[in-house]
Amino acid sequence: MLDLLHSFALVSPPPAAEALRPRIKAFLTERLGKIPADIRARSWTGFDAEFSRDLANQGWVGFTVPKDYGGGGGSAFDRFVLVEELLLAGAPVAAHWIGDRQSGPLLLRYGTESQRRFFLPRICRGEIFFCIGMSEPNAGSDLAGVRTRAVRDGDFWIMNGSKIWTTHAQKSHYMIALVRTSGGASERQKGLSQFVIDLTLPGVDIRPIVDLAGDAHFSEVFFQDVRLPSDALVGEEGAGWAQVNAELAFERSGPERIYSSIALLDHWVKHLRRAKASSAATRQVGMLMARLATLRQMSLAVTARLASGESPLVEAAILKDLGTQFEQDVPSIIGDTVADDPRLIADQELVRTLAYVSLISPTYSLRGGAREILRGMIARGLGLR
Amino acid sequence: MQDALLAPFLRLLDDISPSTAVRSAEVGHAHDIWLKLSESGFLDALVSERDGGAGLQPRDVANLLLASGRRLLPAPFGETMVARALATRAGMRLPTTPILLWPENSQGKLRSSLAPVWAGATHALVQRGDQVSLRALGQFAAPADGYALPAATLATAAPVASFTLEPDALLSWSATLTAVAMAGAMAGVLDMTIDHVNTREQFGRKLGQFQAIQHQLAIMAEQTTATCTAARIALSRPLPGPSCLDAAAAKIAANEAAKIVCAIAHAAHGAIGVTAEHDLQLYTRRIKRAVASVGSSAFWADQIGQAHLSEGTDAGVFVRSHWAA
Repeated sequence: MLDLLHSFALVSPPPAAEALRPRIKAFLTERLGKIPADIRARSWTGFDAEFSRDLANQGWVGFTVPKDYGGGGGSAFDRFVLVEELLLAGAPVAAHWIGDRQSGPLLLRYGTESQRRFFLPRICRGEIFFCIGMSEPNAGSDLAGVRTRAVRDGDFWIMNGSKIWTTHAQKSHYMIALVRTSGGASERQKGLSQFVIDLTLPGVDIRPIVDLAGDAHFSEVFFQDVRLPSDALVGEEGAGWAQVNAELAFERSGPERIYSSIALLDHWVKHLRRAKASSAATRQVGMLMARLATLRQMSLAVTARLASGESPLVEAAILKDLGTQFEQDVPSIIGDTVADDPRLIADQELVRTLAYVSLISPTYSLRGGAREILRGMIARGLGLR
Repeated sequence: MQDALLAPFLRLLDDISPSTAVRSAEVGHAHDIWLKLSESGFLDALVSERDGGAGLQPRDVANLLLASGRRLLPAPFGETMVARALATRAGMRLPTTPILLWPENSQGKLRSSLAPVWAGATHALVQRGDQVSLRALGQFAAPADGYALPAATLATAAPVASFTLEPDALLSWSATLTAVAMAGAMAGVLDMTIDHVNTREQFGRKLGQFQAIQHQLAIMAEQTTATCTAARIALSRPLPGPSCLDAAAAKIAANEAAKIVCAIAHAAHGAIGVTAEHDLQLYTRRIKRAVASVGSSAFWADQIGQAHLSEGTDAGVFVRSHWAA
């Protein structure tokens, strides 16, 4: 059962990790120049392959992958500092984001030696980009209901079905997908496996979907009789559910669950400094900073648990639910101040950023597991059910 | 270190802080509790080893303070521990009796709309400007405030001795210790609520099997762990202790969580939870009184907001420079 008072221990990035910060900051300032806040607000959905390769040249893609596999050999805290600075700067990290955050670690943990030798150095060089095939048209929050199926055929697997809401599938080289390999939908978590799929294979059809802000960052991906070589299987056949859950703990606990609205928040505060903040706005700033301070510490605490080899699913769920609430409250609070402040309307960059963040913010609590799913997990952790 | 301290301390709490003791302390019977607490040696945990203490820092006793809150220890344990450490650092010896913290403004007015709960204390450490003095408390009187908890008063006797501290150091300590006690008490409320929904049946099922209830309890857990984290951050600052912004973030977290946690706990318990007989009210009464003490969320948010607006840094730098644990 969740130990309420002790589940989030107080930790700081060690000095070696903090020592990276100035170099990372200097690189980002130089490389990115001045980006408008509404572009920065897209940070981890902003796709820029050239930027990802430049970052890789610094050794900062696959930072935690062992050097033997072409990685940086850094610690989880090194990566925390790196990712924190990338997000605070609003860097366009989407191209390498998935491979760096979860596909690489997944392959490192469950992949065969030859899979590691093939994929990891390429991820670390920024040559190949990954997407995640989890959701399907009829399996969203109910992930165990996936119907995309792979059937053995000699040395191959024949795959049929479709995935949806796959971030940047249209620009990625590979997908790691959760697929049914035995049994029917009624068997739920059993009979699921993960495959690494070359998206250039015949029978793969990728169709981008335009979102409400006009961006096309996600796609629907169709698989029709796609012939996967036997070494496309990742980990154990039938162990897909456990593997995917371990992967999700990485997906739910990073600083990206607290900083999605940071470009808007920073720009708003700049505006308040110029325009003499009202006492109400000053208080709102204070309330938001207090929450951010706590959330950052909670994210560090989960990072420490992951670094020590644990899989803190409940703590990651708590952090993600609280963190995305914060991210969604930022545009809601700032949006409320706009109506009374004509000077704010005059700041076009602020208005564009506010518009983008408030339109897209519902996704913050959808991607990586919806609020209701997380709360169910937390309740189980408390000993309910 | 922390775990080595925690186990014996939890055994002590089992002995001195059952709900019967919490109830009798409200009507003035707190002597035995204090006797055992002072014999335990925990009161000098933060006093340096040179001065006969354990030489610990606030972060080392965080688990003890949270555990005290979870069990509603009816004694100013953290306050006395802090008072003894601060006074000893200034070369002053305090009596081995319970001591409250009493932060005042420069005009000598208590910086809290509600006075500290008496809880068996004999003295208060009073700060006005940078001057800190030890003052005797008035006689214990029957519970006077609307929360049915005995509020302390200062006696008219002259201060016993004095030393100096950074202005508002005691205000920050007071708010921090209040937030820590609230975090602990909210964990206690959640313990009780989990127990209740796993026992009580309606519509032929345990309450805890209803998804609506599960999600409400998940929210309680989120709020409680967030408050606990904010409290630990404030306690991570070495002596002389938490900064204004440390205290601010902790008290804001506690106040905001308290509204949610108390409301859900009472809703889940139903009518039994609002009876005097049920222990839930022991917790929520203290938590709600604490919300109304030592600074509102708005007051503390002003401190943080003004600091951020005047410092001119981005949020990331601001947060790291003020709250790096």
